[in-house]
Amino acid sequence: MVARAKSSRSPGPGIKGRQQLAGWIFISPVVVLLGLFLFVPVLMAAWVSVSDWTGRGSPFAADVGYVGTENYSQILTGGGLATQDFGTSIRNNLYYVLFVVPLQTALSLFLAVLVSRRIMRGRGFFRTAFYFPSVTSSVAITVLWLFLFSQSGVVNKILSWFTIDGPNWFADPRGVIHVFLRAVGVESAPQALATNEFLGISWWQWVSGPSMAMSAFILMAIFTTSGTFMLLFIAGLQSIGPEIEEAAMMDRANAWRRFIHVTLPMLKPTLFTVITLGLIGTWQVFDQIYVGTQGGPAKTTLTPAYLSFNEAFNQGDWGEGAAIAFILFAIIVFFTIVQRFVLRERDTVKKPRTKRSQAVAVEVER
Amino acid sequence: MSTTPATTPPKQRSRLGAAPWTTYLLLVLLALVYIMPFLIQISTSFKTEPEAAVNPIGLFPQNWTTAAYERLFRFSDYATWGMNSAIVTAFVTVGRVFFVSLAGYALARIPFRGRGVVFALVIAVMAVPSVVLLIPKFLVINQLGIYDSYAGMIVPLLADAAGVFIMKNFFESIPVSVEEQARIDGAGVFRTFWSIVLPMAAPAVMTIVILSFQGSWNELNHFIVATQDPQLTTLTKGVAQLASGQLSQGTQYPLKLGAAVLMTIPVAIVFFVFQRRIMNVSAGAVKE
Amino acid sequence: MKTVRHTRGSRRLSLAAVTGTAALLLTACGGGSGFEDEGGDGGEQSSGGPITVLIGSSGDAETNAVTDAVNAWAEESGTDAKVQVAADLNQQLAQGFAGGEPADVFYLSTDQLAAYAGNGSLEPYAADLENSGEFFPALEEAFTYEDEFWCAPKDFSTLGLLINNRLWEDAGLTEDDIPTTWEELRSVAEQLTDGKTPGLAFGPEYQRVGVFFEQNGGGLVSDDGSEATVNSAENVEALTFVQDMMKDGVAAWSSDIGAGWGGEAFGKELSAMTIEGNWIAGAMENDFPDIDYQVAPLPAGPEGEATLQYTNCWGIAADSDNIEGSVELVDYLTAAEQQMAFADAFGVMPSVEPAAEEWKEAYPEMAAFIDSADFARNLPTQEGANDVIADMNAQLAGLKGGNPQQILDGVQQNMEAVVSQ
Repeated sequence: MVARAKSSRSPGPGIKGRQQLAGWIFISPVVVLLGLFLFVPVLMAAWVSVSDWTGRGSPFAADVGYVGTENYSQILTGGGLATQDFGTSIRNNLYYVLFVVPLQTALSLFLAVLVSRRIMRGRGFFRTAFYFPSVTSSVAITVLWLFLFSQSGVVNKILSWFTIDGPNWFADPRGVIHVFLRAVGVESAPQALATNEFLGISWWQWVSGPSMAMSAFILMAIFTTSGTFMLLFIAGLQSIGPEIEEAAMMDRANAWRRFIHVTLPMLKPTLFTVITLGLIGTWQVFDQIYVGTQGGPAKTTLTPAYLSFNEAFNQGDWGEGAAIAFILFAIIVFFTIVQRFVLRERDTVKKPRTKRSQAVAVEVER
Repeated sequence: MSTTPATTPPKQRSRLGAAPWTTYLLLVLLALVYIMPFLIQISTSFKTEPEAAVNPIGLFPQNWTTAAYERLFRFSDYATWGMNSAIVTAFVTVGRVFFVSLAGYALARIPFRGRGVVFALVIAVMAVPSVVLLIPKFLVINQLGIYDSYAGMIVPLLADAAGVFIMKNFFESIPVSVEEQARIDGAGVFRTFWSIVLPMAAPAVMTIVILSFQGSWNELNHFIVATQDPQLTTLTKGVAQLASGQLSQGTQYPLKLGAAVLMTIPVAIVFFVFQRRIMNVSAGAVKE
Repeated sequence: MKTVRHTRGSRRLSLAAVTGTAALLLTACGGGSGFEDEGGDGGEQSSGGPITVLIGSSGDAETNAVTDAVNAWAEESGTDAKVQVAADLNQQLAQGFAGGEPADVFYLSTDQLAAYAGNGSLEPYAADLENSGEFFPALEEAFTYEDEFWCAPKDFSTLGLLINNRLWEDAGLTEDDIPTTWEELRSVAEQLTDGKTPGLAFGPEYQRVGVFFEQNGGGLVSDDGSEATVNSAENVEALTFVQDMMKDGVAAWSSDIGAGWGGEAFGKELSAMTIEGNWIAGAMENDFPDIDYQVAPLPAGPEGEATLQYTNCWGIAADSDNIEGSVELVDYLTAAEQQMAFADAFGVMPSVEPAAEEWKEAYPEMAAFIDSADFARNLPTQEGANDVIADMNAQLAGLKGGNPQQILDGVQQNMEAVVSQ
């Protein structure tokens, strides 16, 4: 073996050199493409966001000046329409994230548990059925959703069977929380909430909840992504294996406790992945808005991604659009780090609270 | 393992094996919720507009008609859109497979200086959210002069960090002895790659093909920023225009849903044929 | 040692290889525009360069009419010209300018004039046109920015009141009942309201509801454009009047009753009346030919008659390769004869005074629209005004349950920022 190795090395540096060359040639298309279309664009956009380029000719032309953080301050602290739009988009997207991520995580976990543990037959069929929506394009699904949730559409028809008068979903700007408050008697904004502002819109508007239109989008997001995450959870569950469940069951832990104290902690890595991907995806929602409502009704489906696009491509305000994109980038990174911190692997195991779970934990450790 | 107390009721034991019928019922209901929208979509595309408005849930049209499809092809450039989607998808898929397997092999099996750095960069790039790149990509495409052309539609999509990852992992799982043998027999790096290792990587290549197909067929925001010529519109962009009322003002649901159905068919076919692989890979690829 | 030396040498080699590949890739991408050839590679100023005309069409009728006209000119003049229908005019204009390859001739609306004239994208050719003196003064004014007449108005439209004759007669109304005041409008709408079908429906935007503002002596900005008057008492009154009608179910936003625009609501008989512009004629003919309708001037408000007018112009890009040819083309397209042809095809009104009489004679049933030109007002055209209006429209969506004073106060703030620039 050693002799052979030596002989393969005796052409010596030649092979090493060829390997260097080969390595770089092999990798260069990907490096060039990624550099050109992922790395360089970020730099260009950074420049545009701190320049006063008006959209004509090259942004590197001589007459394009440096304006520092003017675009950013206009968006974050200016108080004018730019700030209002940005605040509105953040509010909308925040509710979208707050509803979609937990719901889709829970639903996909639920589906995964149902499909992988509880049944023997038809697994493939159910997995396919739940995963299919993830395969279709966002355009096709949005068009379908516009139909299902139209004034006289399927969803309202079904609601009418339960004597509920469904709203004109995609045209209804009322916030869910506001509707609820109205139902319990709070008709209009309390003074404190109405007068104080953050990012250009009043606190009362911040607590409006997602609008009916946004709620329809939330449902759509859950519908299309739960399948993908279900697969991740299935893989995670399979890696846990049935012996642990058996062990827990032998110690008379019932199904719910088993799940909470044994299965869930072992699914932590998968949970982490699902939530991270969910966060990254939901903060970028764009396609559906572009196809469906273009930010309406009453700007309640406006998202930072769409705002950035609209400002740049439709209003010609490229600096502002680029600035919004970078702020969005920062937000996504922030949430990912926070999430990582919250779900981090702790070195010390928390002391179980009840005797039963203690027994289970002991069993698991063995 | 502790001995099972004799007092364990037999009920507990049976929980491991058979599933109660309630679970099946729940699953069937949920599956129905997931499948119904698509069935409704198909059936509505064969209804007349008034019927779609009056009876949206009905799965069997009273007056079965292909009027919506006829209008779709007569009054819009749907065929052109389909052709453009096909062209772009074909080139992107082939291109990605080629570039990504080259890169993956290099990262896995060719020791060269800077390999670690490149790999780190590939991972870092995967972290950049795609929507943040919308404006900048347009600027770069402009500067390169490939705006409003097939090149502008295809080339940027060839950059696929995730694919590199998948191929690298797969190549690492191929035993080194195979390559050593080839080297001893005098094959150069490229020949080793092309004639010996790549054929062994058929499953991974298949995976890349499927993912690339799905990804480029369903791509929207890249085409929005890369083109404006109506002759370069793809299915996604075209149907998006239809949805926002291009054809004529007014809600023409059968037509729009028919358009959506047709554009989903190729992806659906690929999905059903390669189901198992897709679902395994999605779990694996995304997990990484 | 040995390995280091050779590694360094081979590193240089691989660097060279990478740069080489990169260069190759770049030239492959950058040389020419890939598979598609863009017009305008002639590059000469004076003549020959093919001309691209970018339009935002209202439908097949308009597309065909413009294409025919441009083709006819192309044959006559020998210069190649092509019409492109934009899927999203604003977006494609912005992309074209950003890429340095804008269309040569394009539709330009009043609210985009300030932005593009301001950043040098436009060529101010209008004053040099052959028929530059024949445009309606109000239209010329709409396209004057910083004392320069930038582009030639291609046509204009005003808003009028459309009445569904069948529903009108069914409700027992006659010619005499055509409303001429706000009270009459309200009473007629009440009589026409039938269950869920409101008597009056129009688009949820200032571009429609603004007529009430003007009729009450209000408006978004003062006459000289120096002051924002959004939350004036007159405007609040006007908006409250509309809100009351909505609360009582006699009026509604077209979107609330399931229509894409006022014309669709009118054509599908989701409402008996609508406020729309004369472009509706084409849509009615094509999509809703069975509706028998008439056009009346909008009723007068407490301060008199008023309506809003809309106009676009033919913009010419400063970066165009063939400005001379483009100007000739625009000359041809704005001639009275050609404008009448457009009017015939898709119902717009000519922007040149000589053609006005001819139009009235040809379309007596549309006379109300052209007569309304006497008291038609433009929307504010300051840079950024259309953003404010877009934001206002977003808030108007919630008018029925909202507070008009609050809505207008919010918009006032934004408008002040725009006006003070």
